[in-house]
Parts: sequence; C-alpha cells; structure tokens
Amino acid sequence: MESSAPLPPAPALPDAVETLLRHFPAEVRAAYVRLRATGDAAAADTLVLAIVGDHMPQKQARLTDAAELVADLGFDSVAITEMVFFIEDLLQVNVTNAEILRVRTVGDLRAFVREKLAQQRQADGPATSA
Amino acid sequence: MNRTAVVTGLGFITSIGNDRAAVVDSLQRLRPGLAPVEFLGNPAISVKVAGTIKEFVTDSPVWRDWRFPARYDLSRETLRSLSPHGLYALCATEQALADAGLANEALTDGGTGLYCASAGSAFLLHHHLAHMHAVRGERGNPMGVVASIAGTLNFNLAAHYGIRGAVGGFAAACATSSHALGCAVDDIRLGRQTRMLVVGAEEVNAETILPFAAMRALSTNPDPLTASRPFDRARDGFVGAGGAVCLILEEAEMARRRGATIYCEVAGWGQAADGYNVAVSHPEGAGLAAAMRRALADAGVAPGAINYVNAHATSTPAGDRSEALALRTVFTADGHRPRVSSTKGLTGHPLSLAGVMEAAFCALAFVEGFLPGNVNLVEPDEACAGLDLPRASVAEAPDLILNNSSGFGGSNVCHVLRRVAG
Repeated sequence: MESSAPLPPAPALPDAVETLLRHFPAEVRAAYVRLRATGDAAAADTLVLAIVGDHMPQKQARLTDAAELVADLGFDSVAITEMVFFIEDLLQVNVTNAEILRVRTVGDLRAFVREKLAQQRQADGPATSA
Repeated sequence: MNRTAVVTGLGFITSIGNDRAAVVDSLQRLRPGLAPVEFLGNPAISVKVAGTIKEFVTDSPVWRDWRFPARYDLSRETLRSLSPHGLYALCATEQALADAGLANEALTDGGTGLYCASAGSAFLLHHHLAHMHAVRGERGNPMGVVASIAGTLNFNLAAHYGIRGAVGGFAAACATSSHALGCAVDDIRLGRQTRMLVVGAEEVNAETILPFAAMRALSTNPDPLTASRPFDRARDGFVGAGGAVCLILEEAEMARRRGATIYCEVAGWGQAADGYNVAVSHPEGAGLAAAMRRALADAGVAPGAINYVNAHATSTPAGDRSEALALRTVFTADGHRPRVSSTKGLTGHPLSLAGVMEAAFCALAFVEGFLPGNVNLVEPDEACAGLDLPRASVAEAPDLILNNSSGFGGSNVCHVLRRVAG
C-alpha cells in the first residue's frame, strides 16, 4: 500500500475482501479499489448502492435516495443487520445499534457510510489524497 | 382412540443418491456411494474416503459460493442462515413434501411438528469463531449462530415452512435421528400432533468427520469400494458420510382420508443405554439388546416375527461385534434368524443422520419388496455366528423390520416398522 492511501489496508480476515466482493460486477470491485486508493466519496456511494441492491428483499423496488429500507425495499431487522455486518466487514468499521436505528433511507445510509469513512480517516491520520 | 403413525413421504440427499430412485438402485444393486477425499488439502492424512454428496458444492463458508441442483429454487433470505447440511436438509424436505403430496400451506395449522437431528455445523462454527477472534469480538455475522449451532436445522426449517406445532432438536450422537423419529411417533400416538417431519443431516468435511480419526474410529482403507465393510473380519473403522433425509409421519386415519400413499407403519420403538462407557459400546451389546426388546414389546411383536434387521453396524471392530452379540441374544438364542444387514457398507456412516436414513431405507424395502444385502462382507466376524447376513440384496417383501441405532454414551434406539396392507 502506498503511503498516500487514506484508509488502512484490510487485514487478512477469514471473510477477506476478495470473498466479499467476488459476486459483484467489475465496476463495484473497481469502486472498492478506488475508495481504498483515493478515498473517493463517489466510490463509496457506488459500493453502498450495490450492497443495498444485493441485500434488499424486494428486488423489483427502485433504488433511490428516498427509498426507505423497511417500507420500500422490504428489509426486516435481520436483513438490516446482515447488510450492516457486510459493510462493517468490508470497510473495517464498527456500527452501533443506535447508529443502525438512525438509518431509514438509502440516502441516510450513503451519508452514514461517508461519515464513518471520514471518522476512520481521522482516526488513522491525515488524508493526503484529493 | 388408538392412533398409529405411518410414513407418507421420504426425501433423500445421500452419498448413494439424491432421490428415491437412485437410492433404491444403490440399495438393490449394492453400489457404494463413497469417494476419495483429501481433507484440509493434506495428503498425509490417513483417512482417504468419505460418503460424499454429489451435485452439491458446499466447501465455502459463504453461501453465495455454493452450487446445488437448479431444481431447488431457494432465495437469498433462505440461504443466508443455512449451513451446508441445512441446505441438504431443506432439499430433502422439499422432496419429501412432494413425495407425500403436501403443499407448504398444509404445514402451518399447528397440527404439523418438526424434529431434527444434527450436531450443528462445526465447519461454520469454526469459521465464525475464527472471525470473532480476528476482530477481537468487535463484530460478527448476525446469521452465525442460527446457521451453525446445534439446532440450526429446526430453526431454519420451522421458519421456512411456517411450522407451528412441536419443534425441536435432539443430541445423542449417532442415535440422534432415531430419538427424533421415536419421539415423533409418540407425539402422533398421543394425539399431540397429526403430522411430524423428521429430518436428520450432517456435513462431509474435515470439521465434522476428521475428529473421529483422533479416536482411531475411522477406516484408513483408501479404496472407496471396500473401505466400509460392516461385520467383516477385515473392517478397520467407519467411513464418515453426510447428507440429509426427511421422513414424514402422519396419523394413519388422517393419511388415509387424504388419500396419501403409505410406505409403512412405525409400530413401536424402544431405547436403553449401556451405562458403560462414554465412547465404546458395551462388549456384549447389553443396552442394544434391551433396546431391541423394548421396541419389540412396544410394537407387540415377537422376535420371531421380524423378517429383517437394519443393523447400526458402522464397520468398527468393537461396535459391530457388540451388535452381533446383541442380535444373537435377542434372536439366535431363541432360534430366530431374521435377515440382517448394515447399509453403511454402501453409505458410510452419516453420524446423527443414520437412524432416520436407515428407517427410510426400510420404508423403501416394504414398497419395493427387497432386503438390502451386506456389501463387502467377505468373511464374517466370528461374533456373527448364527446370524443370517445375506451378501447380495434379496427380493423378499418384509412384513416386519427392526432398525437399530447406537450412539456415544451407550445410547441405543430401535424402531419396529410394519407393512401396511395395500
């Protein structure tokens, strides 16, 4: 990893990143690489939308920022915790129960993940990328 | 009211076949389902064969990597909380429901219950606990518990099918699914339930099977065709196996009213423990003999009326010997000679799945009119003197069958199955 990377490298875990993203399209995998290399917030958005789309029970629903996870996309509490764990494991962040309860829509989740990554960068040192 | 429990549906994901026709073919032609394996990618491991499950690839802890026959249409909401043996169990249950002519809607009125048998998924449990240690306990897969601990079968199947009657799991090692079947029979006879699904399942992986090598219980014969050889002098241990079987029991009058096809009646069962050793069966099979007698008494059947015994014999030197002696005590000593065979020469030993799997084989024997032979039996152990151990399967339609199971701690369970007049 180059010294300019804003995020810490993912440690070698049983659920390695390669395993987590194996089933996603190439552009989603590329977004992950871009996020790690540059901290690009748009790349984080791409990842979040792909993850929601992968976990949402109502596959026919429209994935808009205003879409509510429970009411529109069919998530129940189990599906939400499953998706949150996926995000935690992929991005190496921890999410509390109180934080989960604040996220109602896809837009909320995008903003929340951006905020989490910003906190992570602050905790790990100053970012140097654009 | 005198209630009886009859078998109306069967489903098979086994080393010898993934449907009824394949299983019958293997049992009749004595075609073993064992295959070469290399656990942990380590050629130095002395265990070389296992009763593998064909058509399914479940060697990843991530359900998305699994491959299974396209005829099973399972959603991600179903798959996400399954273990590999949970997948087998669900597929076997789908088969059994179709076989019994039951729609899923028939399972939700409270009259249907579910008893399961498995030791849980040691494979997934290890995976999730290793992850927990790697992240120092800060997070974990929310499906980790329900997918891996003992009970995972009943959690998942009860939720998937909306079952609202009695639901539970049993833990008695290799006698487990026999306990499940026996208790399910009692629930029907007592009028507590009108229908019971009995499901056993196990995985074929290092985490489930290899620990038995540490007990020196597994065969080190590398030949899949001959490694499992119950009652034979050259046996050197059991061959681990996996899979799943679902057996559907219904109260007989209800089954007849709805026009169900009936395989047989489960006429009685009995259990008795050895009270002897944590891992070794009683040297003369005392507990097993007592369990056989209790099952016969419960069914109101004399030993001389039994046509066939499906033995537990797993191909271990000590276990097969004690069962042979128990059979001689119950039958031979009084001049009775039922046919006796162990189908584990074909299937390997699928641990907690064994009892219900072999009860299902017995159910097939009634409707197909045959008795499975003893594959690989070349020279019977001297302890088998006086037992009728057919080498080949025989075309004889039985009226009464005894099915034996034994597990760690000397737990012994036997069932008596009876032909039902067509």
